[in-house]
Amino acid sequence: MIRPTALLALSLALLATAASARVCVDDDADRRVCLEQPARRIVALSPGATELLYDAGAGERLVGAVSFSDFPPEAKALPRVGSYKRLDLEAILALQPDLVVAWVSGNPATQVERLETLGLTVYRGEPRRFAGVADTLERLAVLAGTEQAGAAAAARFRDGIAELRQRFADADPVTVFYEVWEEPLMTVNGEHLISEAIRTCGGVNVFADLPGLAPRIGTEAVIAADPEAIVAGGMGENNPAWLTPWKRFQALTAVQRDNLFFVPPSTLQRPTPQMLDGTRLLCDHLERARARR
Amino acid sequence: MTVLTTQDLVIDIPGRADGRPLSLRVAPGQRWGVLGPNGVGKTTLLHTLAGLRAPRAGRVLLDDTPLETLKRKRVAQRLALVFQDRQDGFPATVLETALIGRHPFLAPWHREGAEDLLLAREALAALAVDHLADRLVTTLSGGERQRVAIATALAQTPSVWLADEPTNHLDLHHQVTVMKLLRERAGRGAAVVMGLHDLNLAARWCDHLLLLYPDGQHCFGPAEAMLEPTALARLYGQPLTMARVGGAPVFVPADPAPGASDDRP
Amino acid sequence: MPGVSRRPLALALLALAGALAVALSLAVGSVPIRGAELWAVLTGGGDPLHRELLLSLRLPRALAAFATGGLLGLAGALMQVLLRNPLADPYVLGLSGGAAVGALGAMLLGGAAVWVPGAAFVGALLSTVLVFGLAQGVGGWTPTRLLLTGVVVAAGWGAVVTFLLTLSPAERLPGMLYWLMGDLSYARSPWPAWLLLVPAALLVLPLGRGLNVLARGPLQAASLGVAVRPLEITVYVLASALTAMAVSTAGSVGFVGLVVPHMLRLALGNDQRLILPASVLAGGALLTLADTLARTLLAPQQLPVGVITALLGVPTFLLLLYRSR
Repeated sequence: MIRPTALLALSLALLATAASARVCVDDDADRRVCLEQPARRIVALSPGATELLYDAGAGERLVGAVSFSDFPPEAKALPRVGSYKRLDLEAILALQPDLVVAWVSGNPATQVERLETLGLTVYRGEPRRFAGVADTLERLAVLAGTEQAGAAAAARFRDGIAELRQRFADADPVTVFYEVWEEPLMTVNGEHLISEAIRTCGGVNVFADLPGLAPRIGTEAVIAADPEAIVAGGMGENNPAWLTPWKRFQALTAVQRDNLFFVPPSTLQRPTPQMLDGTRLLCDHLERARARR
Repeated sequence: MTVLTTQDLVIDIPGRADGRPLSLRVAPGQRWGVLGPNGVGKTTLLHTLAGLRAPRAGRVLLDDTPLETLKRKRVAQRLALVFQDRQDGFPATVLETALIGRHPFLAPWHREGAEDLLLAREALAALAVDHLADRLVTTLSGGERQRVAIATALAQTPSVWLADEPTNHLDLHHQVTVMKLLRERAGRGAAVVMGLHDLNLAARWCDHLLLLYPDGQHCFGPAEAMLEPTALARLYGQPLTMARVGGAPVFVPADPAPGASDDRP
Repeated sequence: MPGVSRRPLALALLALAGALAVALSLAVGSVPIRGAELWAVLTGGGDPLHRELLLSLRLPRALAAFATGGLLGLAGALMQVLLRNPLADPYVLGLSGGAAVGALGAMLLGGAAVWVPGAAFVGALLSTVLVFGLAQGVGGWTPTRLLLTGVVVAAGWGAVVTFLLTLSPAERLPGMLYWLMGDLSYARSPWPAWLLLVPAALLVLPLGRGLNVLARGPLQAASLGVAVRPLEITVYVLASALTAMAVSTAGSVGFVGLVVPHMLRLALGNDQRLILPASVLAGGALLTLADTLARTLLAPQQLPVGVITALLGVPTFLLLLYRSR
């Protein structure tokens, strides 16, 4: 017969080892996410989450991703668990992940909740600010036990953005129209991360006050706003075709000064550290616009 | 004046044997009644005579021209068919309905002229429905719609009338009006063929009869010769008694013989 | 006969309404242009920006809206007579589904936006041929059979559309959804639509009386001298081509094709010689007005035009229906 004191001592000892490995972070849905030990098998439910996990040094621990998870290139080899809007729950369960990284506004909430009721641990991410991108890198690194890599990546991103902020803090404002999509014509409002990139470069988003993150607008509204620069993504990483149609509006300031700029969409449209590159490019473009005054 | 002729005509009723080919000549001024029990093919015959259904064998000639070689428009200029029942796709007024009788006479880009309007109005007056001219056909009673349908055919000014149960839904007074109208048309040289289920109407208003038997046989000839009680009893599978009222033959069903009530020849 | 005397007046009023709708659509937008400036541009002068706005943006869009509305109104009126079914609309035979599959397929494959109208047109025609071929079957087609085949084929296209939406990456979805709702901002040039609308409207005028007769049923029509089959096939091909052009110009704009002919029937009676040209004018005026509201009501945000057509059309239609005998 084991004496109760011995049992108690044993339990305490076990608890202590567990506590030493136990990791906890708060996610973007304001929930506390805890793991008894750093995650070894991670499934990412959005292309952005996959990218962030690689940046946080947890790429080796990824065991599954959704379709269109194409960056970094090695992500293409990950087993697929459906698309971000329709998750393949069976495929996710079969991978036996100890951590699932979900996307608040992209994944179906009921499916994500289902994953939790099935006993999986879910981190919900939705970085809406540059600060959020860096924080997410650190938090994911904590959950994956790669704090060092994560902290380094977060610092690189923070420093890069801070440097840009400082450089353009007193720069002359440039009014900017950012074209997210051509047909239908869509832009971003002031809440959007892309708008923060524009602000960082000393730009002013002409449609910052519209309701809705990515409002649909008319061509005439752009002409009425007469921005100093027009910045567009496109149907590919190297396809500035969306800028051409604006050239017929010779009365536009942006056209007269040839301030029609292309930024590869993946460097501005995904909330990941790649945004540093995109923001740098955007800042260069806006500097050029200032020079053409 | 148009003669309607059939040459070895076999009408096409799916699933039925050919029967005896029909070679018939309907001359101007004649009023033919087509008699026979339900389902014997009276309507199919009339539709075949109008060229709306292809015959299984033989052919129909309008004067000496085979019907199938004529354009529908040419046929419609000489031959009208009053249908037993009608479809109402979209509601139209009574006057509009009568005016479509003028359709075969108008080129596509022509509108109905004063003369067409006059013909349509006269036709409506002849059937005593002119007071309904602006009403929608869908709001009329069955008998009123039947009279509008006959008025439409009248506006078509055909020289051959094919009428499928023209007295359907009509009260006695209007039955007489319609039958008088058809007799008057025949008097002016039209050839008239009507499908009838009422033996007494046929006896009273037709001068020629075509009897269609369920076994595909038929016989035809002048009405007086055809109105023979035993032949008619065989036609309907129903014993008949004949009386004469004011010189005209009248048929009434006889008491059924025990055990023979539903026998058909 | 009723309609005869009202005919020129009704058409003149509808033409006036159409002209007013186009004029309104030219006059309003995000950039305010005053009447005098507007006049200057229309007479060949004016500020270059205003010229560009009016002649490159507002005018082509207004003309595309009018032509699309006219095409849909006419196609709807024709389909209702052809199928002798008041619930028929231009899309009832699966045309919009075929067009949607073509358009979304082109968008999914990453084709340039220029290819989308062509792909939609091909999809619509493919659907026409498919439905007609299947309805033909062993026993020849009847309106009921055509309708049933069309409805089932449309359901099939619906499944393919959902499938394509599932396959599509996130950033392409809004464009696809807007296309499915119908939207004039996709209209690149109004001229193909006009090039079809004008001859089609002229062609149906002499067919009008024959269609009046056809509305009484095929047997009655045949006995009145109408060559029923050739007429039905002409109407089918014509209505399909009109719808295909409308869909490839502006996506599947709903409501106009179903309700405009009905509104006109309630107001003007059932003479196709009046209803068909009136459907062109009323459909055009309604869609032009709706599109103007769609792009100005919450400007600079753009509403889907289908929302406005329904908001304008539903009460009007219900009022007419309520007041009809």
